Amino acid sequence: METALTKVKSEEYGGELIQLVSFNLEKEEYGINVLMVREIIRMLNITRVPNTPHYVEGVINLRGKVIPIINLRKKFDLLDTDYDKRTRIMVMEVVGELMGFIVDEVSEVIRISEKEIQPPPPVVSSGIEQECMAGVINQAERLLVLLDLEKMFSADERRLFSNVA
Amino acid sequence: MAIDCEDQELLDGFLAETTELLEKLDDDLISLEKSPEDADLMNRIFRSIHTVKGASSFLGFDMLVKVTHKTEDVLNRLRKLELTLTSEIMDVILEAVDLVKTLVADIKGGDIVERDLEGTIAKLIPYLSENAVEATVLAPVFAPKEEKAAAPAETPAQAAAAEPAAAAEARPAAPQEAKAEPAPAQQVAPAPQPKPQPVKEPQKAPAKGGGEDLADNSTVRVDVKRLDDLMNQVGELVLERNRMIQLHSDYQTGLSPADFGDDFGKLSKRLNFVTSELQMQVLKMRMLPVEKVFKKFPRIVRNLARDLGKEVDLVIYGEETELDRSVVDEIGDPLIHLIRNALDHGLETPDQRLASGKDRTGTVVLSAAHEGNQIVISIKDDGRGIDPDKIARKALDKGLVTDEQVAAMGTREILDLIFLPGFSTKEQTTDLSGRGVGMDVVRTNIRKLNGIIEIKNEVGHGSEFILKLPLTLAIIQSLLVEVEKEVYSIPLASVIETMRVSKKEFHMIGGQEVLKLRDSVLPLLRLQRTFGCNEVYTDRDTCYVVIVGVAEKRIGLIVTRLLGQQEVAIKSLGKFLSNLPGIGGSTIMGDGRVALIVDPIGLVGGAA
Repeated sequence: METALTKVKSEEYGGELIQLVSFNLEKEEYGINVLMVREIIRMLNITRVPNTPHYVEGVINLRGKVIPIINLRKKFDLLDTDYDKRTRIMVMEVVGELMGFIVDEVSEVIRISEKEIQPPPPVVSSGIEQECMAGVINQAERLLVLLDLEKMFSADERRLFSNVA
Repeated sequence: MAIDCEDQELLDGFLAETTELLEKLDDDLISLEKSPEDADLMNRIFRSIHTVKGASSFLGFDMLVKVTHKTEDVLNRLRKLELTLTSEIMDVILEAVDLVKTLVADIKGGDIVERDLEGTIAKLIPYLSENAVEATVLAPVFAPKEEKAAAPAETPAQAAAAEPAAAAEARPAAPQEAKAEPAPAQQVAPAPQPKPQPVKEPQKAPAKGGGEDLADNSTVRVDVKRLDDLMNQVGELVLERNRMIQLHSDYQTGLSPADFGDDFGKLSKRLNFVTSELQMQVLKMRMLPVEKVFKKFPRIVRNLARDLGKEVDLVIYGEETELDRSVVDEIGDPLIHLIRNALDHGLETPDQRLASGKDRTGTVVLSAAHEGNQIVISIKDDGRGIDPDKIARKALDKGLVTDEQVAAMGTREILDLIFLPGFSTKEQTTDLSGRGVGMDVVRTNIRKLNGIIEIKNEVGHGSEFILKLPLTLAIIQSLLVEVEKEVYSIPLASVIETMRVSKKEFHMIGGQEVLKLRDSVLPLLRLQRTFGCNEVYTDRDTCYVVIVGVAEKRIGLIVTRLLGQQEVAIKSLGKFLSNLPGIGGSTIMGDGRVALIVDPIGLVGGAA
């Protein structure tokens, strides 16, 4: 059954269909696999946690669970701006742990076929680290950068997380 | 011997009952040695052994039956006053009880390892037959006594004195006697143990061997009444919830805000009451009497006293005091070390005691009591006390501290040196002590529990170690403090006192801010600096100092203001933020915000 379905899809769209949540950071559009995203919430009171990397904004209470919040702007070394009413926290499951990511704005869920994903260009001009770019999607009028957050929190980084003095 | 489902239940019941009986037996036997005339006690011991024997014969544990039967025989003689109780006989009985424990543990172990019933039996049988050897080894030890029951009391005593040798001899002899039985069994045995081992084990480590492993920690026995109470409380909670829903719908259908406010106030009061009751009930279910740990000490003290040639009276108070299971599991080891120290270092030999005008027999008092939200356990001896000069000298000799450091220390700080790993006053390492590990174990375990250690010492008159431990580890009482507009929560169990001081009173010693507090010098730590908070209040010249203690260390935390005391549930920060220095976790406050819980261990470690 499944293989048959995939086949139909492949014929129709040229590649398997995936859904992405697209969000904005510093006027650039990024995409993340929808299956990674648990929920999208508005800004809450964030409690600062001392002695963490600068991009760890703190922790929030998500219905009784305390989860860390990461400011993607800071993580990508973009200009830090104030939060506004469009600022959102995307709660995602990264390597088995819930985490929140602050983004400028969440726009929509889009469907693309896997074929549309192109490998990332060798030189990236913005501050995003090369390794967490999973690819680029070039549709008419828009360019989406596909992120792989699992890679962003590589083993090294995770160790760093817990050992910053 | 096919054990079907019903038998499995019986077996579980048997194990639970036997374990309980055996645990109590140790204690009773020691008491019996002190008061051999106590007929009630004697009868109780006899009954216990008899019950174990009966149950094991019913279930077909022949090895257990053999051992218990012989023990019972001896006890019966004692009961009928055909034998006089000597410490040698007691040794043998205790050894037999240890053997029984080992056997029961074997049965239990075989049971737990293999869930498949057939496999369990296959494993049980070799276990049992292997132990048959032990049983027969013991048998000759008892045998002479039975034969010479009518003979004067010294004879069995002598026989028992020669017992280790006899046992050693009997060991090679035993398999021959019982050749038919153990020989095939050993071939079947999946992992045949070297034979001397099972016999030696109960002899060498009577305290550590059987008893502890027997205690079952995976299930809880809860008083039915407690369960009923819990159900009642849950019922109350449901009622309050209904009231809340009702109140909300009333409000929507036109209840005036003033009335709503009134009712809501009452409701929240009741809800507060019900939840705290509920919390208490659930906590109580996790509670165990500290007796569970205490009851193995009479035995340990008895053996130690004999080994050391000292006369010791162990007095236990407050063994009914209850504390959380997690805490009970952790305090056993530290207490053993402390008691060992009291006997080994604290108490003098009878001659020395007489020479210094004390009773021949030394006293060690072990007590437990609740004090607010803490449990206080104290080990007190009336021995020679701790000599600070000697401690300082030793620490210098071992290169653990420098001259300057010692010069700057008060008596308290010097006494704390005994907690350093590698510290020991003993010239030579013995079985008992001298490796310098014991007090480090005490400190490590107490730290783990967020506890505090205090030492009271009077040279020549004895010393007292006081352990203060939190009742439970999941929900804690905490002190909420504000550090430059950020709220932190400090576990109340670690807080010793708080005070308001003017910043002028701080001094600098060697780059470390300190506060002179009564007769001691307290190192200070500015939380604002440690946690890198933005300084908001720059013009204030007073602040609050929260004095926290971790094990034997004390430190003052400087905070902006105190907000009050609150009961908080500990939430983990997840694995990404798990190892932050000085932060032990987080909690959620009434307004839904997260407050971080300060980890005094991390802070004290960082300051030292």
